[in-house]
Amino acid sequence: MAVVEINNVFKSYHDTEVEVKAINGVTLSFEKGDFAVIVGPSGSGKTTLLNLVGGLDQPTGGEILIAGHRLSELKPSELIDFRMDHVGFVFQSYNLIPVLTAAENVGFIMNLQKWPKEKRMTRTNELLTSVGLADRHKSRPSQLSGGQQQRIAVARALATHPEFILADEPTANLDSKSAESLLDIMEKLNHEEGMTFIFSTHDVRVMKRAHRVITLEDGKIVSDDVRK
Amino acid sequence: MITAIAWKNVWRNKTRSLIVIAAVTIGVFAGIFSMAAINSSVVQRIDAAVNEELAHIQVNNKEFRSSADIQNIIRDYPGVVSALESTPGVTKVTGRIIVRGIATTATKSSGVEITGIDVGKEKEMFTLSKKLIPGTGSFFETNTKFNTVFIGEKLAKELNIIRYILTPEALTSLKEKGIPPEIVSKIEVLQGQRFTSDKKFVKAYEKLLAPGEIQKYGWKIREAAWSYREGSKIILSFLDINNNQTGAAFRVCGIFRTNNDMFESLSLFVPIDELRQLTGMEEGSFHRVIARLENNDITNSMTPKIREKLPDYEVLNWKEIQPDLAMITDFINQIYAVFMVLILAALAFGIVNTMLMAVLERTRELGMLMAIGMNRRKIFIMIMLESIFLSIVGGFAGMAVSEAAISITGKTGINLMKYSEGMEAMGYSAHLFPTIDVQFFITTTILIVLTGIVSAIYPARKALKLNPVEALRGE
Ligand SMILES: Nc1ncnc2c1ncn2[C@@H]1O[C@H](COP(=O)(O)OP(=O)(O)OP(=O)(O)O)[C@@H](O)[C@H]1O
Ligand SMILES: [Mg+2]
Repeated sequence: MAVVEINNVFKSYHDTEVEVKAINGVTLSFEKGDFAVIVGPSGSGKTTLLNLVGGLDQPTGGEILIAGHRLSELKPSELIDFRMDHVGFVFQSYNLIPVLTAAENVGFIMNLQKWPKEKRMTRTNELLTSVGLADRHKSRPSQLSGGQQQRIAVARALATHPEFILADEPTANLDSKSAESLLDIMEKLNHEEGMTFIFSTHDVRVMKRAHRVITLEDGKIVSDDVRK
Repeated sequence: MITAIAWKNVWRNKTRSLIVIAAVTIGVFAGIFSMAAINSSVVQRIDAAVNEELAHIQVNNKEFRSSADIQNIIRDYPGVVSALESTPGVTKVTGRIIVRGIATTATKSSGVEITGIDVGKEKEMFTLSKKLIPGTGSFFETNTKFNTVFIGEKLAKELNIIRYILTPEALTSLKEKGIPPEIVSKIEVLQGQRFTSDKKFVKAYEKLLAPGEIQKYGWKIREAAWSYREGSKIILSFLDINNNQTGAAFRVCGIFRTNNDMFESLSLFVPIDELRQLTGMEEGSFHRVIARLENNDITNSMTPKIREKLPDYEVLNWKEIQPDLAMITDFINQIYAVFMVLILAALAFGIVNTMLMAVLERTRELGMLMAIGMNRRKIFIMIMLESIFLSIVGGFAGMAVSEAAISITGKTGINLMKYSEGMEAMGYSAHLFPTIDVQFFITTTILIVLTGIVSAIYPARKALKLNPVEALRGE
């Protein structure tokens, strides 16, 4: 069964006089273990598509299923819990809570889900180690580099064993070295734990390392290359 | 966890939070402290009224107050006394004779209310005996001589019993009190001169001193020159029980100083037996019975009970006798309300403003929190808590500062001698000892917290309205 199924999805905005068709009939599915990237020119609908898949936004047409659940059937309050359980998010920036330490940020969702302290600590340490930042657990986000902050965000996204991780331009604000090391970590998690990653990006470095490249243009898929 | 994050968020922008907190602190302090000062003058005034002038409860013949006829006596004095004494809450009871008359000296005369009192009992019941200016006599000592009278300083001045003389001793005592020698030498020319009123004396020394010096030392100079000859004679004349003019010479055997000019210039006290003899009233007859209660708080509830027991008499409590005094308490509460509204409005304004700024600044972060799983209720609570923390920290700092200021000035007092004349003419002390009830503190605290909560709602709702998708795009 596919992790994500997108069936003929539309999303249009009527904010202005003209209707903007941000997503215009997309059908797509992601399998467990995918390391996929969505590319396309600015305004092609990458962010919109990721938001729809992550349940942050509702499509104006079509259907999205995650691990067999129809998102449209969930009430708004259920959707929040569903997101916490099934989807990990990594954004371009403002990922972390500035007043909390790295470890507290990683533990944040587990905390919201009321995990017992022992279990939370163990998982936090495990995750910090796997993103290579065990020694920085006490640092505040402002004391970490951009790349390190993104790695903490990845660790937090992984905390509750989600179905997949959505990352909207995760390397956009990073220098090459940080971007490479972030990709190394994600690749490793993909390899070793079979974690599914779906990115959007403008970044060729990300494109080169993806196993699948989906190209969007004007809200439509123009190509979907699998290369393994 | 939300609580911890909210608390940490308060300190994210330290300067901004501290400014709001400081503003709240100052507001709360200004409000509470000025209330304490005003309150103190009222508390002192009421204490004085109850302890020196009126007692808690007065019982009169029903006609007595409308026509102060000497005949309007309390018919059954022992009955009234036992009715009062048997009422729980009543502590002390005594009777008085009251006649209107004229006090005359060689140069002046003045209308007065002459009260005959049981000297020993009144000394126990009232603090007026403590208002006797030291060295002016021994009215309250037992076995004092016959025909003694206890009068107010104001009346003594009106009757020219008090003089102002700068004796050599007075000048030395001024120097000892730390008045600069050059000031003392400036007024030395007045030495030995006799001034029959303080106005004349003030005029004389004001010619010699600079305005600043007058303001600073005038009061001490007047104190030093104040003098009176013990046993000065005054003639009291009044009508006796048969409406015949009568009277006698009395010796001033004590001068009292209160903060109430009216009381000081109208009331004088003589031993009851002498007054009874002079008026020809029967043994055991009284015009008024006064009673003290355990404390002032039970005055309102006790009055109707006593009234029920004494239907043939007029029973009044001090609030009914001096409604203006009771009103002032209400008035104070109204001032408090106005003060609090102003303080709280400023508080609310500051918090709404600060929190709106905080929400606006953190749009993306709030969007992220919503996206990763923080629900709206938690976001709402977080913003509410931040506002409440701000107001509570400010509120408590304000109260701590107020408490400290009140406990310091409550001991040392705040001296408003500059304005003393106006205030004392109305019966208010110019020396304030700020006090405040615990009740007042609790009310204020609750109001501040409530304001914090109420003013948090708007910014918190603003945060709720954020749509995570748009917030993350960031405009
Ligand atoms: N809230 C909105 N109201 C109206 N139009 C919107 C809104 N959000 C997005 N759009 C439009 O939808 C289209 C797709 O936007 P989207 O952000 O998904 O593009 P993108 O591929 O992520 O671009 P970029 O590479 O610049 O991030 C754009 O034309 C955008 O202007
Ligand atoms: Mg985008």
